[in-house]
Formats: sequence, C-alpha cells, structure tokens
Amino acid sequence: MPTFSLNGQTIPFEKGDTIMRAAWRAGIEIPHYCWHPGLSIAANCRMCLVHIKSGRQMQMPIMRFDEKKGAYVPDTKPKLMPACQVEVHPDMEVDSVSEDVEKAQHSVQEFLLLNHPVDCPICDQAGECKLQDYWLDHQADLKRKRTEPVHKPKGVRFGETIVYDAERCIMCTRCIRVCDELVGDPVLDMRERGNRNEIVLAPGRELDHDYTLMTEHVCPVGALTSRDFRFKARVWFLKSVEGVCSGCATGCNTHVDYDSRYGKVYRLRPRDNMDVNKFWMCDDGMMTYTEVSEARVTTATIGRGDEPEAVLPEEAIDDVALRLEQTEGAKIGFVFSALHSSEDNYALARLAEAVGAEKRYLAARPDWKGDDILRSTDHNPNRAGALAAAGGSLEDTEDLIQDVMAGEVEALVVLGAICEEDAAQLEPLLKLETLICLTPNDGPLSDLASIVLPVASWAESFGTFVNGKGMAQTFQRAIPAPAGVEPAWKTIAQIAEELDSPLGFTRVADVRAALAQSAAAATPSPAPASAAPAPAE
Amino acid sequence: MTIGVKVITKPKRTMSEQVYVPAIAAGLGKTMKRFFKNTFGPEEEKEIATVRYPEEKREYPARFRGIHRLTQRSDGSPRCVACLCCSTACPAQCIHIEPAEYEPDDPRYGYERYPARFVIDELRCIFCGYCVEACPCDAIRMDTGMHMPPSTERSHFLYEKETLLELPGRDGTYLTANPRHEPGDPTHPGIDRLKGH
Repeated sequence: MPTFSLNGQTIPFEKGDTIMRAAWRAGIEIPHYCWHPGLSIAANCRMCLVHIKSGRQMQMPIMRFDEKKGAYVPDTKPKLMPACQVEVHPDMEVDSVSEDVEKAQHSVQEFLLLNHPVDCPICDQAGECKLQDYWLDHQADLKRKRTEPVHKPKGVRFGETIVYDAERCIMCTRCIRVCDELVGDPVLDMRERGNRNEIVLAPGRELDHDYTLMTEHVCPVGALTSRDFRFKARVWFLKSVEGVCSGCATGCNTHVDYDSRYGKVYRLRPRDNMDVNKFWMCDDGMMTYTEVSEARVTTATIGRGDEPEAVLPEEAIDDVALRLEQTEGAKIGFVFSALHSSEDNYALARLAEAVGAEKRYLAARPDWKGDDILRSTDHNPNRAGALAAAGGSLEDTEDLIQDVMAGEVEALVVLGAICEEDAAQLEPLLKLETLICLTPNDGPLSDLASIVLPVASWAESFGTFVNGKGMAQTFQRAIPAPAGVEPAWKTIAQIAEELDSPLGFTRVADVRAALAQSAAAATPSPAPASAAPAPAE
Repeated sequence: MTIGVKVITKPKRTMSEQVYVPAIAAGLGKTMKRFFKNTFGPEEEKEIATVRYPEEKREYPARFRGIHRLTQRSDGSPRCVACLCCSTACPAQCIHIEPAEYEPDDPRYGYERYPARFVIDELRCIFCGYCVEACPCDAIRMDTGMHMPPSTERSHFLYEKETLLELPGRDGTYLTANPRHEPGDPTHPGIDRLKGH
C-alpha cells in the first residue's frame, strides 16, 4: 500500500483517498466541520487547511503588521490547501500542525464565531460541540469584533422532529447533503449570502422524510436540535454503551446514551459500522429508545380482567411452574418472539424441551415501510435469531389461534406481548385458562394473559440480535432493570428450576455458550450466532 | 565532630515578681477598670467584643455567602436558562433543575429555555459559592446576606424556584446588574434579514 507523510508520520492510503480520509482511516484527526466520511466533499468550512510541503511551493502575498515600523509591510505566506479535497499522492509531505496552519485555524475559528450568539448555556450541543472543542484547541482567544452580531431567526421549526437556530449555524451544509445524498429528498437548501446565510426548507415543504434526525446527528454545532432530546439532558452527564437498534431486521449499530444517576435512556446515536448501517439510522430506529420507558410492565400479576392481583415475582414463578406441571406437555404451546434476543429465545426453547412441548410459534410485528437506504420491511430485529434459537421452523400466530380454537393447545407460554394480530383477532386465546406472558412492555398478548411476568427490556440486559443478513450482533446493558425484574432468560431458567429440570444458566455467557454449542451441532459450518463474543456480566 | 553546647542561664526573678501579689493586684485592677467602664461609663467609650445575638446582629462582610436567590428579568421571569452549569459544578449535588421550553404562544417564547423547577436543598448545600461562579447568566447569587432560618422540618430547607425568586439581594433589588438583550426582550435589535439591506 502506498504511503504519505503526515506531520512526519508515515500513513498508508488507498488510491483516490484525500488527505482527510487517509488520516481519518489512520485515526488521526485533522480539524474539520463540513467534511463527513459518509457525505460528499464541500470544502467550505476551511478548517482543515494543511501545508503540503512536497512539490511546487506557492507563496501568497500578504500584508503583515510590523510592530517596529508601526505599519503594514509586504510579506508572503505559504498557500494552504483543504485536506478534505486534496488527493494524496505517494510520498506527499503534509503538515497539519505547523505555525502557518495553526494561524489559519485560529483565523477560521474567529471568523466562524464572529456572529455566533455564544448561547452555550441553552444549547443542547454544548459538551459535544465542535465549535467549543476547536475553540479550546485552536483559538482560546477573544474575538476582536465589538459590534452587534448579525441576528438571524432562532427556534425555527423544520418539522416534527427538528428545530433550527440560524445564529448558531456555520453553513457547513452537512444537513443539506444528508437530505440530498443519503435520502435523495432535497428538502433543505441555503438562502442569502455571507453573514446572512441561512438554511431554509424548500417552499411548501417540511423536513419530514424518514431520516430527519440524521441532519441533527451530522450537525457539528447546535444549529439543528432534535425536538425529542431538546432540553432533556446535558450531554456531559450521559454515559454510553454499544447497542443494536430494535426497530427492524437491519440491526443498525447504536450508542445508547443514558444517565446512570436516574437509570434512564435519553437517546440513541448511530454507531459507525460499514457492514450494516455505515454512519446512519432512520428516525423510527432513533426513537426505539422510548420502548424502554413507555408502557412498561414492572410487577408480576396473576388473573385477568380489570383487577389482576399483583404478586411477587417468586410467587408468580411458583404459580407458572405449578400450572405447567398440571398441563400435559404436548398441549403446551410456546410462543417465541422476534423482538427478543437470541438468548431469551434459546432459554425458552430449552424450557419447551424440558416440558416436552411440541407446539411452537413465532410472534412478530407486522411488516412496515422499508426502503433501499437502511429500513428493512421486516419490523423485527431478531426474526432470524429467534428461528435459529428455537432450532427450526416456527408456526405463526395465525396458526396458534386456529390450534387454540381446535383445542390442540391448552396452555401457552408467550415471550413478548406483541404480535401481528390485534386484540379482536386474539379473542379466542381467552379460552385458555393458562396464558403466561413474559414481557417488558404492555401489548395485546399481555392484556389476555392469566399470568404476566415482567422481564428486562433490551436496554436492561445483554443480548444478541441476528439481523436480516444473518449477522449476529451483541448489545450491552445500559441501565439496571426495575427492582425485582430480571432478563427473560433468567426468569425462564428460574421457572425451569421450579420444574426440577434446571437449565444451568446463571450468567449470560452460559446461555451464549449453550446457544453456540447447539448452533454448531445443528450446522456443520460455524454458525453466525456463535461468532458473538460474550461479555463478562 | 564535637557536639556544640549552648548554656542557657535560668532567668532570675526579682523580689516583687517572686511574691506574685503586685501582679495579681495589677491584673484585678485592669479587670475592674474595664468592668466599671463597660458597665457605668459613657456609651461611646465601651469596649465590648460580644453582641447580644439574635437581638443584635453584626454587619457581615460584603462578600458573605448567604442563602441563594434567583435574579429576575425586568418582566419578573427568572434569568435562569436551566443550563445545569450550577448543578454540574455543585460539589454537594444539592441543586435539582428541570428545564422546559416556553410555548410558542407565550410572550417569553424567545427566551427558549427556562427552569420549570429549580430546587436547592439548603441543608445539603455547603455554601461554597461554586454555583454562583459557574452561572453564565448571573442568575443565581448568594448575596442575600441571610442565614438559613432554623426549622425542625426537613422540607422547609428545600427552596423552590418561587421562593428563590422572591428573595432580594442585600441592596433590596431583584434584577441583575448585567442585563442582556435576548430574543424576546424588547431591547433585542431584531433579525437583520427582515430589516433590509
């Protein structure tokens, strides 16, 4: 691989790389605002100016202030080039830290902040703002302008999801390029020139495509803010773990940002993964974090109707075990969930094996709107994983209703509460005296259940989702589950223990090891599910 | 090397020192003189170091850190923008703020962000003054010159936004000495684009 030299360091590059991209690959940051690895090159922020020391040197005539003479005298300075736009040649010598470059960065910073309102206290970007970071690194100085800054509109609603503040905007055009290049919906553009520059919506339009939150995600400053996250938290309080989106079968990689003081997830951010989602996520995916707090089931209940009896989880588990013992094994149906992790589904498969059940079904959300960018039409994150964990084909919930009506199923153990059918279609299930539902959220199935056992949501447990391409991706626990609530695999293991057929699962690594073993036994080639490394819990 | 020896002579007492009585008499004389001067003497000559607290109170130094107050804008709304800088800086973690946004039909909509709740647990507070230092808007101050009024009820020490806004500074004012022209203020110059070139 050919190499070039950046600040004396030898860096490899691929043909066609710009200086910026080669440095980004090598993990070296050249300060920039408008460049984004997933977008086209705009080269308009001028923050990434570097000195190319090899080749023909160009000198720019300037006027320099001579303090001895007390006057401006003619001088020269080297011509600097934008690193984001200049293609690398072998043995090129680039300097991004020289005095000339730092002076240019200082000037660009001062220029960008000339009319900036410096309202960091009310700005949600504060703490992760490039203007703040680069001010400290490359300016750390007061601006010299003493006149009233140019005032532009603030708090402009761009749509249901995004608010725009023109005074904070540095006109890097990243948001425009996201709409044009990622989504193919040119809804944003610019108006006016110079310091009256503004981002505007196309006439008669709103920012309403499926990737609006990506405009906020790429914004290096606080110009675009998400209406959902607005004023909710300060980013320096948030911690982050690696997650996988539970929205659809694409399995976009995420950062799950949470506040450990309150045990609350505040937002998701896309995590770069070139094989899955590159740099992006869709709006619906970004909002899946609300599942963690909305419509949660936190107490175990026994009984149906208006007032089910709230009991301790141990009592509910005892009752579940009792009822499973009383029913003939072959007549117990097990419903797996395409929304739950492979670990949860595998534990359920082992429980089904232990009671000798033969009827197995898969509950999944109905298909939704897919597209060619990221969204899969399959609205479930782990259909492939649930099928693999259950060890073969599963019947769907329509068959389940027919089997219940035919009397072939007398008791039901359900993972999750959501399925394709609505409450009216599920009415025949009320016939069952025993309908056990292990679920983190309320749903049509938990409404019909005779015993509801709360389990941890995806943000509260370690797990694996297998996406539509068959890639097994693990996610980490962000926050603790509500008091007394355990991950589903653990609750299932407790039920199995009560039935005197322990599964031997005490840590998530145990489940993963067993799952990998069963997958390896099922297929001679290494199964994708086994590729997932097990984190220590 | 020899050890250096320094000979210290024992101080000698004179006869009058040795009998102690003149020294006792001189000391008692000083005490009695001060007693009669402070008890029966003219007011301006009295030299009393103590005050009759709480009937009498001492003047505190100008930079005394008393209980907090929140400064107001000219329309009575809090200057605080709920940036959480004070609660970030607070080493006792005694400040709880819930930020919110004015609705678009609110006359103060332009201020964008304000504290829907602002609670200081004055029992937890260690009166270090970091919150005042951290505040970028001069919204929180400790210049009330007041102590915490004593109480046997813990909840009395949780000061809500309304209480904090009602406390005046030592100079009796509620406003900040550092006004700003935010959007929404009558003094804000307005959007340049709408004013023409």
